[in-house]
Amino acid sequence: MIRFENVTKVYKEVTHAVNDVTINIEKGEFVFLVGQSGSGKSTILRLITAEEVPTGGHVHVAGKDLARISSRRVPYLRRNIGSVFQDFKLLPQKSVYENVAFALEVIGRPKNIINTQVPTILELVGLADKQRNLPNELSGGEQQRVCIARAFVNRPLILLADEPTGNLDPVTAQEIMRLLDRINQTGTTVVMATHDQKIVDQMRRRVVALAHGKIVRDQQQGVYS
Amino acid sequence: MMVVIFDRLGYFFHETWLSVRRNLTLTFAAILTVAVGAMLVGLGLMARSASSNALGRWQGGVQFEIFLQPTISGAQIDALGLELRNHPDIERIEFVTQKEAHELLQEILIDEPEVLEEVAPESLPASYRIVPRRTEGELIESLAAQFRERPGVYSVETGRQQIDAIREWFNSFRWIVLLMSIVLSAASVLLIFNMIRVGMFARRREIEVMKLVGATNSFIRTPFILEGMLHGLVGGVVGAVAAGALRNHVEDLFGRSEILAFFRSFTVSSSQFNTAIIITIILGVVVGAVGSAFAASRFLDV
Ligand SMILES: Nc1ncnc2c1ncn2[C@@H]1O[C@H](COP(=O)(O)OP(=O)(O)OP(=O)(O)O)[C@@H](O)[C@H]1O
Ligand SMILES: [Mg+2]
Repeated sequence: MIRFENVTKVYKEVTHAVNDVTINIEKGEFVFLVGQSGSGKSTILRLITAEEVPTGGHVHVAGKDLARISSRRVPYLRRNIGSVFQDFKLLPQKSVYENVAFALEVIGRPKNIINTQVPTILELVGLADKQRNLPNELSGGEQQRVCIARAFVNRPLILLADEPTGNLDPVTAQEIMRLLDRINQTGTTVVMATHDQKIVDQMRRRVVALAHGKIVRDQQQGVYS
Repeated sequence: MMVVIFDRLGYFFHETWLSVRRNLTLTFAAILTVAVGAMLVGLGLMARSASSNALGRWQGGVQFEIFLQPTISGAQIDALGLELRNHPDIERIEFVTQKEAHELLQEILIDEPEVLEEVAPESLPASYRIVPRRTEGELIESLAAQFRERPGVYSVETGRQQIDAIREWFNSFRWIVLLMSIVLSAASVLLIFNMIRVGMFARRREIEVMKLVGATNSFIRTPFILEGMLHGLVGGVVGAVAAGALRNHVEDLFGRSEILAFFRSFTVSSSQFNTAIIITIILGVVVGAVGSAFAASRFLDV
């Protein structure tokens, strides 16, 4: 589903944010990216969404070499990828329902699809009763669930999460992990960058550890360190 | 407790009001600039039509025109023509028949067919248009005087110098107008560009999310370009209305004043007027589209 071939990303000709990374992530896998701050986790996620272009090597996503697709096709690639963030990136003036519906509206999905998909996904993330609320009326965990609902409402093949539990207390973080796990159970490939040792150790999924942009460990059913 | 809520509300409305006002100023400036630029283009186009309408018969070096009595006989016309052709100071002549005179009048009175109906072709004078060898004022005056008292001659109209002065005046007016409208169009493009940039900055979170979930660039851009075009359209319409009002005012002035009576022939037909107005409005829309498309493509790189 995701394949890196000797991928390098150099910023400003000096920072090797990603350094000769080769990795293969199969459909339906759940992968943790771990490593110190600045080790290149976020950069890898941005290479997958084509927000960044590699300095060297090739990135393949859903069977396509990103170097070979035109910039006009990039939006269609992104419709197969959901993204979840530490800071949620919700629109403050839109309600929960509108935030999720927005993701479908702007890719031109018809109204009737939106009207059935959005309530279904809000049910899945357990926010059916908060759909009229504004983001600032929700707790951090609830906001993160809105963010996940928005990322997943279009049923993407891949879900990328950059420190999704970074702003949450341990109990809420557990709930978010249960949700991501359920999404993974539906066959969605999940890649999650995290610093959360407890979560990684407890989930027992594939762990890819990075240091200075290089893969230093790649372990099935791994632990944080 | 209540006070805190009202403070918050007050703060919130204040902030919103400030941002609206900031944008209003910008929007207003952009629309106004488009309007002035468009108005000048409209006036320039009308001036062009008016001067070519008025000066139509003074083309090709024609310096004066001898109008003949409607009662003149064919033999008299031919005799006069022969004399003019053989005159040492005359280069060339053109004969305008009564029918041709009527056709010319038809063009001028295209908007007033009821007036035209009153005029029978037989009641219009035929004429000779004269191109002299030299164009000094005295020569033309003496030539005109020679023929003014001939039997069968109704009147002689000169006025070439006057016409030249007017033509020059109209030409430089057109150039100034053209130059100013180019400058103002450029300023309009920049102002709309800036307005859209501010709008995009205000909506950067939405744009970020749209890109994230896979909205195409054209989908993201379209509302901004439409916004720019709408502003251009409003500016263009305001400019067109202003140009139209000015034209009516000026025609009114020409019609009333004795000094300006000469300008009475400087009129614009309604089809020329409509063309000028439509071009003016289209120009506004194009300016809006260019400015906003430029901004949208500039600030939307993936
Ligand atoms: N746009 C950029 N321009 C220049 N340097 C950058 C840019 N983005 C990232 N970097 C650098 O690349 C390196 C890797 O950054 P990255 O964000 O991928 O790290 P990370 O592993 O996600 O860190 P964290 O855990 O703190 O989020 C860092 O040294 C960072 O300073
Ligand atoms: Mg990061």
